[in-house]
Amino acid sequence: MFRKILIANRGEIAVRIARACREMGIASAAVFSEADRAALHVRLSDEAYPIGPAPSRESYLRIDKLMDIARHAGCDALHPGYGFLAENPDLARACSANHIAFIGPSPEAMERLGSKTAARQLAARAGVAMVPGTQDTIETLNEAGNIARGLGYPVLLKAVAGGGARLYLEKYLDRPRHIEIQIVGDAHGHIVHLGERECSVQRRHQKVIEESPSPIMTPKLRRAMGEAAVRLATSAGYTNAGTVEFLVDAAHNFYFLEVNTRLQVEHPVTEMVTGLDLVKLQIRVAAGEALPFAQEDVTLAGHAVECRLYAEDPANQFFPSPGKILSRRAPSGPGIRLDDGVYEGFTVSTEYDPMLGKLIAWGQDRAEAIARLDRALGEHAVTGIKTNSDLLLAILRDPEFLRGEIFTRWLDDRLPSLLREGQARESDAVAEDAAILAALLQFTGTKDAASAGIAAPETPSRWKREARFEQVDRSK
Amino acid sequence: MKYEIIVNGARRGVEFAPPANESSRLSARIEGRPVEADVVRISRGVYSVLLGGRSLEVTVEEQSMKFASGLLVRASGREFQMEVIDPRSWRRGHGEGIELEGRQKIVAPMPGKVVRVLVEPGQSVAAGQGLLVIEAMKMQNEIRSPKSGTVEKLAVEGQTVNAGEILAIVS
Repeated sequence: MFRKILIANRGEIAVRIARACREMGIASAAVFSEADRAALHVRLSDEAYPIGPAPSRESYLRIDKLMDIARHAGCDALHPGYGFLAENPDLARACSANHIAFIGPSPEAMERLGSKTAARQLAARAGVAMVPGTQDTIETLNEAGNIARGLGYPVLLKAVAGGGARLYLEKYLDRPRHIEIQIVGDAHGHIVHLGERECSVQRRHQKVIEESPSPIMTPKLRRAMGEAAVRLATSAGYTNAGTVEFLVDAAHNFYFLEVNTRLQVEHPVTEMVTGLDLVKLQIRVAAGEALPFAQEDVTLAGHAVECRLYAEDPANQFFPSPGKILSRRAPSGPGIRLDDGVYEGFTVSTEYDPMLGKLIAWGQDRAEAIARLDRALGEHAVTGIKTNSDLLLAILRDPEFLRGEIFTRWLDDRLPSLLREGQARESDAVAEDAAILAALLQFTGTKDAASAGIAAPETPSRWKREARFEQVDRSK
Repeated sequence: MKYEIIVNGARRGVEFAPPANESSRLSARIEGRPVEADVVRISRGVYSVLLGGRSLEVTVEEQSMKFASGLLVRASGREFQMEVIDPRSWRRGHGEGIELEGRQKIVAPMPGKVVRVLVEPGQSVAAGQGLLVIEAMKMQNEIRSPKSGTVEKLAVEGQTVNAGEILAIVS
């Protein structure tokens, strides 16, 4: 097993990896930019090294600096997390040149599956269905008509990426779902799938809420999709964790979309229903261990739903809302998991993705998981920055979402009415009175912080401490 | 003490005395209506309020802008934009105790919309008196007079303003 793992990332995923290292008795080494000295991943790692200025191209995206730090710190493995360099084969190659194990697939497998074109060719050879359409560009109107009739209307006319005026035809899918299969493979030729995640609730192709299992899943469809994903991964010589994404139509036809050759943001929902720890599995197979289970040992229990917490203001065009987190009550209780990267007092930087973390709920069934996530979001109170919490609650309470009637454009279509409903809630006179009283206490209290004996049965020493804290804080 | 609070753009008169030390019982009159509550400060900006048979958690965030200050208050999933007008600061003028002299231009601190006009051109105003309410970044803020004098010029209700645009002139 590894002695020390370099975590080439930041935020909640760096914290997630540091936690796995700690549980496994492996030392963790974090890297931090100038904006991240006080970040949670630095505080929760065994060692931490500066990697440069705040902009990620000068810090988290510098392979040369990562290699210098790994050598200097004596790391024998590197975990890339997701984003940044996670799907960059050059990092995997640099690791191998420096005798550092890369916790992920080989650079070759990454290239075979990471490029959309290469992956589609491989999928075609492995007999994995793709959205019906032409692989080649269309030359004439006549040809287009013939192909369209063959596919069955409606069809989409799409521009070839970087292809100027070249066009191709694709069958139009009516309200498809985004369902992805988690796979994990070892270096001994075993690849298994760990069931699916339904990620249809997306805003502009960014996932907002993910769950496992999918509300439409049947054992038969899961087996078929799982086998297709494993077939594709096997043909690419894939190892470690990865995700094969599909579009699924109402008739349960599934079409290959792309492969993510890394750990996904939404991996916790799979962990909650399988009882497995994906990060530890990644570390074990990267160290050469065989998968400790076979496909038939993988069982799914209950239902898990995850939402992504962002420092952003949905009511104001989803503007990022960086700033200092003044107070924060973290949710807890039955079935709740918070994978976070921030804390009370932390300043959310403008430099990076404004994701604060992920809130995940597990329940015996979908209804219980959703009710728990709803309850936990209500407990999660943050001041100082805006969050997307209200929008997440509006989604979780939406009748269509509750019935599982979701598809990839569902949220984009539904968003205006969800935001309107959020604003036009019936008035609550008691809440308004309570708000007025609290506002006045705050107002009179801050005017006179030293004597802020405001309505709180706390000990005098505690009050003095608070008052001192506030005075120090305000002087900044 | 009597306060005026602008709650989501509407004025509310509140009679309220900060409770004595060690007590969490609070009596107030909101728009003349008596309100009895039990309020405990949990941490900075976080309050537990027992009111009307309910237990509510209230968070209060101060949102200061250049020429005005507001509070964003959340209770029971509701959001309230508030501004507390301190009776003492009315007398002192702009809360700073310093009254500006000469002809004063009041400019918009950021792009926004004039949602309410509180005075009329030609009217005499006291230092600290509200002139108009502008909404910017979803927040309503009362713009107050930096001096006592006469309103010379005033933006109109519904007008959209850019940052730096003149909202009022008091001479």
